[in-house]
Amino acid sequence: MTPWQKTRSRAAPWFLLPALLLLGIFVVWPMGRALFWSATNADLLAPGRAAWVGAEHYRDLLTDARFRQAFANTALFAVLTIPLQTTLAFLLALWVNRPEPVWRWLRAVFFIPVIVSMPVLAVLWTMLYQPPQGSGMGLVNVAVSFLGGEPRAWLHDPATALPAIVVMSIWQGVGLQMMVFLASLQAVPRELLEAARLDGASAFQRVVHVVIPSVRNTIIFVITVTTIFAFRLFVQPYLMTRGGPENRTLSLVQSIYEMTFLSQELGRASAAAFLFMALIVLLIFLQRHFLKEVRE
Amino acid sequence: MKPATIIASWGISFAAAFLFLAPLLWMIFASFRGETSIFESGLLHWFDRGEWTASHYADAWRRAALGQAFLNSLLQVALICGAGLLVNAMAAYAFARLDFRGREALFALVIMLIILPMEVIAVPLFFTARDLGLTGAYLPAMGGLVIPFLAKAFNIYFLRQHFLSVPTELEEAAAIDGAGAWRQFWNVALPSVRPALATVVLLDLLVHWGDFLWPLLIGTREETRTVQISLANLFTQPPIQWGDILACSVLVTLPVLLLFRCFQRYIVITDARAGIK
Amino acid sequence: MAAFLAPLFFCILSRGALLFRPLAGVFIAAVIVFVLSGCSRPREPSPRQIIRVWAHQGQEAENRAMRSIADAFNHAHPDLRVELTFFPDFQYTEKLAIAAAAGDLPDAFDLDGPLVARYVDSGLLQPLDPFFSKGDLEDFLPTVIHQGTVDGVLYALGVFESGVVLYYDREMLASAGVSPPSASGEGWSWEAFMSACQQLSAAGIKPLSLHMNESADEWYTYAFSPVIWSAGGALISADGASVRDILSSPQNVESLRQWQEIFLRKYADTDPLDPDPFGNGKAAMDWTGHWMARSHLEKKGDRLGVMPLPRAGASFSAPCGSWCWAISARAPQPEHAAQWLKWVTNSEHGIVPMVRANGAIPARRSAFAHFPEYQRPPYSLFREQLETIARPRPLTPYYASLTRGFAAALRDISRGVDVQRRLEMAEEEIDRELQRRLPAGKEVSR
Repeated sequence: MTPWQKTRSRAAPWFLLPALLLLGIFVVWPMGRALFWSATNADLLAPGRAAWVGAEHYRDLLTDARFRQAFANTALFAVLTIPLQTTLAFLLALWVNRPEPVWRWLRAVFFIPVIVSMPVLAVLWTMLYQPPQGSGMGLVNVAVSFLGGEPRAWLHDPATALPAIVVMSIWQGVGLQMMVFLASLQAVPRELLEAARLDGASAFQRVVHVVIPSVRNTIIFVITVTTIFAFRLFVQPYLMTRGGPENRTLSLVQSIYEMTFLSQELGRASAAAFLFMALIVLLIFLQRHFLKEVRE
Repeated sequence: MKPATIIASWGISFAAAFLFLAPLLWMIFASFRGETSIFESGLLHWFDRGEWTASHYADAWRRAALGQAFLNSLLQVALICGAGLLVNAMAAYAFARLDFRGREALFALVIMLIILPMEVIAVPLFFTARDLGLTGAYLPAMGGLVIPFLAKAFNIYFLRQHFLSVPTELEEAAAIDGAGAWRQFWNVALPSVRPALATVVLLDLLVHWGDFLWPLLIGTREETRTVQISLANLFTQPPIQWGDILACSVLVTLPVLLLFRCFQRYIVITDARAGIK
Repeated sequence: MAAFLAPLFFCILSRGALLFRPLAGVFIAAVIVFVLSGCSRPREPSPRQIIRVWAHQGQEAENRAMRSIADAFNHAHPDLRVELTFFPDFQYTEKLAIAAAAGDLPDAFDLDGPLVARYVDSGLLQPLDPFFSKGDLEDFLPTVIHQGTVDGVLYALGVFESGVVLYYDREMLASAGVSPPSASGEGWSWEAFMSACQQLSAAGIKPLSLHMNESADEWYTYAFSPVIWSAGGALISADGASVRDILSSPQNVESLRQWQEIFLRKYADTDPLDPDPFGNGKAAMDWTGHWMARSHLEKKGDRLGVMPLPRAGASFSAPCGSWCWAISARAPQPEHAAQWLKWVTNSEHGIVPMVRANGAIPARRSAFAHFPEYQRPPYSLFREQLETIARPRPLTPYYASLTRGFAAALRDISRGVDVQRRLEMAEEEIDRELQRRLPAGKEVSR
């Protein structure tokens, strides 16, 4: 250990204290309370009257058709979203990573859906997905029939409802990941790119051999974060389909939210929250196992 | 570059720009339309018929009581962004640079905390906030809006990644000049991750500007309303006044857009790090 | 605590924030406002007893009326003061629930009628019988009393009632050769209704608006349960404890198949965008509530006609129920909160100004005297329905799960899903929850 490192380990507690204290009070402690509730039949309207039920909620949830459907939907959403959104964000970042002001504007434009409030976007996309009725139909169907396809009720067909929400979600969130990639693309050493160019590497080769290796950590970061956010899916389907048709867009968070505030089974909702958390922790550990970070 | 490539490149850019700009344009245009013609199918109809009005803005401002709400939201977001930045950057720095026993395990724990969304943890968190007296009257409720969200596992994770990507040489040089851990952090490391800091501020800004459930639960007075609660107030009994909602959405979106424009130049500092190597 | 921390943050961060100029400005301004607002809010000591009151946020005029009712109350009661707070209608239920969870309910609050049973079941409401005389209560419409009564005890009282009718445009009907029922208060059988739609459709007129773009689940249960009821069906057993073989009974399947025909034949849109196609002249009939009466009258004048909803079976049926006022079981002085309830449900002090503002149906018979419009259609029909064919939604603590499951089924059915299979799916889901939550061995008798 160099002396430089030694002074630093002494300082560590002070650097960590405020954050850990706040996280402890406002995240860990509430979670502890939820853990306790998850083993009782606590009712939101009368949490004092709870009785101990042990692991019953967990057992029951694992066999509950609605909860399992929510799990399947969310997993499908994640499987579709993570690769598509990460790739698209990376491509957009490469595309707009140029110094002229025009590109700076374009970056801002890709970011706009992230900023606009979700209820407005939900209305807008519901309009875009309008099935043919009366004299008109939504723009998506106009485009589809222009290309020779059959117009359909995208949000009401059990087969297309979730993919339709995937498309909307990617469009809405891709700007964010693009920004993260952009920040790290700035750090790709210019000399390396120049050297590769002088060696006659094509643009594609430069991306694969120079850019991707140097933003590797960022890619892993973006995948991890996109995974978490994909599993937190809630607002888009809640506003656009309410989880329908036939529960096909019901997300895990919506089912937990409804357990909490609609049927108001606090104990069961807490158990569901812990199952949800265990699932994501497992996924992230798997990801970290397969995608090793480079640490200096 | 060949002219054909340039034209194609511009074409794609324009198409993409339109695809992403459309909602904002629609929102702004529609907010100036008369109530009955907002949902006129087909964009072309907008140009051949009259019925333009600015009255939705006046209505929205009055009906949603936006003045106080803007003040509250700005206050909330500024406090979270400002104070949270310091708290999280310090912890991130510790995880990235400082050696201590159990660092990896502790960091894994922090990552786990990213996972739970607000909708899931709202109830137990509300109980904690209530136990600490962070509900009710104006000041406690504003505290309740801010303090639970200062430390954020995600931001710690994000900033740690960026501290890791900064070479350690500058800090070691500062150490040789006699700088302690705090000055290495404050004077050397922090400025070198400025784009990441800006990103974190921007993310916090977006998340908390959009907060709805938490401010609803924590506030028991009308003075503590935030912008999203005000907006939600317009979604009342039928028939819904879409003009007012859209006008209110435009007003609520504008400050974020402005701040985004301000922060954008920090996020995209070209070659900031080229000088380090 | 927050007030202490703020200056501390200020000292530490004024420099840190300078890393970003835009942030610095906002941040410093924020801290100053924060600190100032801490200093400038001294609480005036008041000799009056405070009554904390929560209400859902309604239309603008409604809120203004509520405020003035509260002001008048404060003026008339020198020893009491109502502190009124509004919350967004959207997710007001969540707000109430978490306040209940924390033991933080205000002294008096309004809640949606179908929630009463749930709140009573959790022991959160104060019985109202001691505060109201029998004569007082007889003045209320029977549906209002029914909605607030659980196990024979009254817990909640409404200021206004609600209703749904079939509005129609006389001229549009006439132009398609359709004649509405001649006698007032008379409605169509389902066959007559469908053939009217058929004629309108053939004449190139959109027959009907069903407001399938409503985001709230409650609209579907509220507006379309009468289809089931009018054919003699039910949503849930009379004791509120089971839906098994009731929700998906053959007669319900049959009624909803008839209802589905409306959409299959494109008589009404499954995905409308326009919130009010009837008012805008794009549909000939409107299946909607009393809240549209004022606006429809303004737009249509003499062209506007109303009739009860078409019946899918032998008898006519109409929905009812609305917001109602209750007192928290933990109110330190329920008699003060009861003063407020008496005031707000009093014809002159509460009902008249409120109903003037929101156009709802007065909850008390004596209040109708103030509203001459109830002598004639469309308003007379609302009152008539409430006195005769109106049926409250099921009174069960598990109503929230019932309505979610049923509304989701209705949405899917409107889009062409097999009725029987979809109702069975909803029944399964609701039943599983009921069986889980019914206290073992406890007889639910309602």
